[in-house]
Amino acid sequence: MAPQKYSAQVMNCKANGAVYPSSGVSSIKKPKMEQLQADHELFLQAFEKPTQIYRFLRTRNLIAPILLHRTLNFMSHRNSRTNAKRKTFKVDDLLSNVDGMKGEPGSQSLTSHLQLTFTGFFHKNDKPCQNSENDQNSVSLEVLLVKVCHKKRKDVSCPIKQVPTGKKQVPLNPNFSQTKSGAFPSLLVSSNEFEPSNSHMVKSYSLLFRVSHTGKRDPNGFINYEADENFDVKEELPSRKKRNSSHRGDGETPETFVAQMTVFDKNRRLQLLDGEYEVSMQQIEDCPVSKKRASWETILDGKTFSQGPTLQFTLRWTGDPSTAPVAKPLSTRSSDTSTTESRPSTLRNAPVVAKDLVSTSIQTRREQSPCEPIQKLRIFYQFLYNNNTRQQTEARDDLHCPWCTLNCRKLYSLLKHLKLSHSRFIFNYVPHPKGARIDVSINECYDGSYVGNPQDIHSQPGFAFSRNGPVKRTAVTRILVCRPKRTKPSLSEFLESEDGEPEQQRTYVSGHNRLYFHSDSCMPLRPQEMEVDSEDERDPEWLREKTTTQIEEFTDVNEGEKEVMKLWNLHVMKNGFISDNQMSQASMLFVENYGPYIIRRNLCRNFLLHLVNLHDFNLVTTATIDRAMAHMKEMEESLPELEEGRESSDATCNGHAVSSVVSLHGKRSKSGVSD
Amino acid sequence: MGLTGRKSEKGPVCWRRRVKSEYMRLRQLKRFRRADEVKSMFSSNRQKILERTDILNQEWKLRRIQPTSKMHIGFSEFSRQVIPLKTLNAVASVPVMYSWSPLQQNFMVEDETVLHNIPYMGDEILDQDGTFIEELIKNYDGKVHGDRECGFINDEIFVELVNALNQYSDNEEDDEEEDQHDCKFEKMDLCDGKDDAEDSHKDQLNSESLNNDGSKKFPSDKIFEAISSMFPDKGSTEELKEKYKELTEQQLPGALPPECTPNIDGPNAKSVQREQSLHSFHTLFCRRCFKYDCFLHPFHATPNTYKRKNIENLVDGKPCGIYCYMYMDGMVREYPAGVIAERAKTPSKRTVSRRRGRLPNSNSRPSTPTVNTETKDTDSDREGGADGNDCNDNDDDKKDETTSSSEANSRCQTPVKLKLSSEPPENVDWSGAEASLFRVLIGTYYDNFCAIARLIGTKTCRQVYEFRVKESSIIARAPAVDENTPQRKKKRKHRLWATHCRKIQLKKDGSSNHVYNYQPCDHPRQPCDSSCPCVTAQNFCEKFCQCSSECQNRFPGCRCKAQCNTKQCPCYLAVRECDPDLCLTCGAADHWDSKNVSCKNCSIQRGAKKHLLLAPSDVAGWGIFIKEPVQKNEFISEYCGEIISQDEADRRGKVYDKYMCSFLFNLNNDFVVDATRKGNKIRFANHSVNPNCYAKVMMVNGDHRIGIFAKRAIQTGEELFFDYRYSQADALKYVGIEREMEIP
Repeated sequence: MAPQKYSAQVMNCKANGAVYPSSGVSSIKKPKMEQLQADHELFLQAFEKPTQIYRFLRTRNLIAPILLHRTLNFMSHRNSRTNAKRKTFKVDDLLSNVDGMKGEPGSQSLTSHLQLTFTGFFHKNDKPCQNSENDQNSVSLEVLLVKVCHKKRKDVSCPIKQVPTGKKQVPLNPNFSQTKSGAFPSLLVSSNEFEPSNSHMVKSYSLLFRVSHTGKRDPNGFINYEADENFDVKEELPSRKKRNSSHRGDGETPETFVAQMTVFDKNRRLQLLDGEYEVSMQQIEDCPVSKKRASWETILDGKTFSQGPTLQFTLRWTGDPSTAPVAKPLSTRSSDTSTTESRPSTLRNAPVVAKDLVSTSIQTRREQSPCEPIQKLRIFYQFLYNNNTRQQTEARDDLHCPWCTLNCRKLYSLLKHLKLSHSRFIFNYVPHPKGARIDVSINECYDGSYVGNPQDIHSQPGFAFSRNGPVKRTAVTRILVCRPKRTKPSLSEFLESEDGEPEQQRTYVSGHNRLYFHSDSCMPLRPQEMEVDSEDERDPEWLREKTTTQIEEFTDVNEGEKEVMKLWNLHVMKNGFISDNQMSQASMLFVENYGPYIIRRNLCRNFLLHLVNLHDFNLVTTATIDRAMAHMKEMEESLPELEEGRESSDATCNGHAVSSVVSLHGKRSKSGVSD
Repeated sequence: MGLTGRKSEKGPVCWRRRVKSEYMRLRQLKRFRRADEVKSMFSSNRQKILERTDILNQEWKLRRIQPTSKMHIGFSEFSRQVIPLKTLNAVASVPVMYSWSPLQQNFMVEDETVLHNIPYMGDEILDQDGTFIEELIKNYDGKVHGDRECGFINDEIFVELVNALNQYSDNEEDDEEEDQHDCKFEKMDLCDGKDDAEDSHKDQLNSESLNNDGSKKFPSDKIFEAISSMFPDKGSTEELKEKYKELTEQQLPGALPPECTPNIDGPNAKSVQREQSLHSFHTLFCRRCFKYDCFLHPFHATPNTYKRKNIENLVDGKPCGIYCYMYMDGMVREYPAGVIAERAKTPSKRTVSRRRGRLPNSNSRPSTPTVNTETKDTDSDREGGADGNDCNDNDDDKKDETTSSSEANSRCQTPVKLKLSSEPPENVDWSGAEASLFRVLIGTYYDNFCAIARLIGTKTCRQVYEFRVKESSIIARAPAVDENTPQRKKKRKHRLWATHCRKIQLKKDGSSNHVYNYQPCDHPRQPCDSSCPCVTAQNFCEKFCQCSSECQNRFPGCRCKAQCNTKQCPCYLAVRECDPDLCLTCGAADHWDSKNVSCKNCSIQRGAKKHLLLAPSDVAGWGIFIKEPVQKNEFISEYCGEIISQDEADRRGKVYDKYMCSFLFNLNNDFVVDATRKGNKIRFANHSVNPNCYAKVMMVNGDHRIGIFAKRAIQTGEELFFDYRYSQADALKYVGIEREMEIP
């Protein structure tokens, strides 16, 4: 199959979704089915695994982010926070601030109203029509409070009461940049509804959202947003539309999506805390995704967040009904810590993910950077595989990252993000009249090598909790702040470089990013042992032993001489004397260290012989001999226990000598050595 | 079997059989003993391991372990049991490492004459290439360690064998018993290694015979004849007899070998000559390592050819106290003056005689008076040489003077003017130790009797003086300045040196790449000319040479005030490290205890190595990594190992090449450094054609040593490589085959 032309391909762009690896091969007249399939296999083989990994990482990053994209330099436009407040901030004010907050009623307590503010209904049409996100549209939303009552004896099933609470027109695929704050529809549900004192014993309460939308752009839609604010929409309008267009036309299909969320479960536990919610909606009369085409992106719970329609809303329990149900921009809500912290993690009815504040943060005005005017961009992803001989193309209309659905808002940011966050791939940018083309191929050089603390891998289980105090870590230089020469952001940096060699990047972790071993035992070196050089000693134990045995082996050297020689050898080995003029100092140090031992073992005369020997070799002067011996005398006098000790040691010394001579007889003689 | 006619047969055949059986038995005994040793060693090692694991287990218990899931085991009939689950992480395997001993200085070993083990390289290789092992064994003349060849017999076995056989001759008449023994031995021959009981029995017999040995008569000639015929390579009957005599004499308890001087601090100290007292120290001391019996230099020069650099002030001008010998009659006025006068005109030298061993060969100058010190304990006639006094000296003291006194007296051109005090000297006992000590000290302190007395400790200077008078005949005189070698003029010296160095350096560069090992030269009364070994080997003379310090071939050292890391420094230029005894200005002789030495050219000798870390290499096998960053040309580590001869390196290299792993490193034309068995961490550095280190063989205080230096700036945690094949030092060439990669 010849490489397809990307422009010829019309891809179905899933809403916010990951790349859908179906290859529309409509341009080829008669595709051979097997060939097609084989090609698809190849494609999957190349891209499936990394995509899956990035998919997992995306989810993990949503739940427990390890970095905030808005803090990245190339994503600065995502950062809506100004530091204006910092200038006026004073530490002294902290207390008064907290005091002021305490005066407010606690948000935890069940208050009289449940306030729902709908941010929007997100649903990407299958059709690649002009109906992009920039165009405003709306759907009608009906919210019902479902009360499941206790089953009475005669009942077959649980009696269910549905209390309609209201109907709203909710923007479809709203673009936050063009939305004024406070323009979102909201609903109030009185807490009286949740009172248990109704006729039926209510088991649980849940909210049922029902969205109906025509799937086609409404020409006389609610472009003016102010119009529908706080109004209950005349329900005739959308529903009539729906009915009118009930015949199966492309885009004319009236669709109904439902989702249910439990407010109180059967134990009367509150399940919906304050927060922002995104509810995945189920289409009622639509058949689910055909199993045949389902692949790893689609079969998560039948539908995914990225693909399926979702409803976003903010939920608040308010005590004051008179408060205007104002939906503030989400980013400003982030200061309200109590709401953001209480993440709804116990939702059951529908797969709900608390929207990451980052990913939905509303950009402020200043981010409308001039270099990237809001325009309709089409980005073609061209996947190269099978040694870059095959390619498949997909097109997208937005600047969301196909792997982690991050809205990068700018082409430059997108490319930068792709390059830095998805390094299992290689991205090359090619300008295109309609927007951009990004060539995606597998990065063969990616080794996924571990650059963290090697100790974490090799340490025994439970090490992190086994410390009895501070534990030393290996010294690894991590670059926290790196300010290399920044080039002006330009798309040209993503063009395929001619020389093929990517620019030399500085490693971000340098130093001892590996596990070291003891050279003698091959045991892992613990960080606290790093400072000690295990073979630093000049006289390893075996060498000390060797020199003593070697001297002991002599048959024609008497035991006194041997003893002094051994002591001296150990002394020299330990201190590593290297020059003649150190000898006098060495002799004095010898007296200092071994003097008491020599006296106790009664070796003074042998030591004197040794000194004379040094003198004979012209290494010390007579003055040194005098000083050393004088020092020895002083020591002798200051050793009180000497008299008793001498006799016994004398005996042992001589006895030892005899035995050693006998046992080592015939081994070596000094004359043999010297000749 | 030849059982018939054994009773009648007492001839050599029977003895031969006895020799054989006894020999086998002893060998077996030895094997058993060895096995026991191994067993006990194993169990003691095992004990050590257990102790160590105990410590670890204790430590483990103290650790707070992450709360792990617990395993509940419950069967209906048993009570519930709960065990914490411990997960053991998979541990990545490390590369293979053969054990080696750490070393910080080279270690010289002798050539191995037997192959210690047949290297195992996997069955495939052995199957494929059987010739390799054959060739290897051929290299060692077919000698493999532990080979059970019958000809093997050492002194120990020999003595035991003779002793064991001796009992036969004792029991010669008792035929029956003998037969019984023979039967036993026969049996043992057949079933080798089964009857321990018999062995113990034999042991008893053996020990009995040993105990009685002293009283018994010397073993009969038949025994030696038989042994000699069994082991013809061990010498003739007479030789064996002599050897046995020699060996058994030493075995007497408490007896020292005749050449061993008694311990001067022990009760048996004898009065001996100075040379004898100091003989052990003189012969074993290595003047280059400052150690006794060092690991690096097999040949030690004895000190007596070294000349005093400066004559120390030997005599205190002042008396040491009121009882000083100087206050003896006539001393105060006369003595000091006399000494000085004497020294001025006496050209005589110290005695250079040595007791034995070393020939008083070329070293001893012809004019040197030789004192005959061969003394025997037996002849202790009292033939006083110069003593008019009547003190009760030990016989030991006397005997020394006997033979030599007259001769020495006659040689001594100007004898010391010794005034004897008018009063009779006290009777003082001089023990053997004191007398020996006196003779030792008089050779160092000459006539400084106060100092000698102080050092002896048990005698006053007056007594020393009197003893001196008694012994005066044999006492050496203080040496005078040796005028044999004409001194050069100091001024000229430097200019000469500069050109000289350059000349030598040029010569070295221009000529072949051969660098020879340095050996201190020793050719007295001969200047270092073309016949000097140092000159022919193109080495400088070092401070260890016996030549004059003014020798032309000596390296002068540098007078740098900088860091000695450029070619401005003559030491650096000559690929030498600065000698702390020669280079006194550059700082090589300062700051012994700190690492901040201004001279950067003395790192190897000071062992100023960098901290290296071992980890699996990024390239192959193990690698070595540096802990701290270093700059270009900074010293990293010395490449240490065993120093072996080139021949030995060839033999070992064959095995290493087969293993594809070699730690051989050419040091110079004579020696190779082998870091296989002993070495330091730098041995793990891998080879690279684009290395970050280089190796340089430098002359460090008379020894060639290999330094590894940084070729460029190296960052923390980088792996170290150097090119095995090439080095700046011309001496360096990689031994064995060159490989791109080393697989340790």
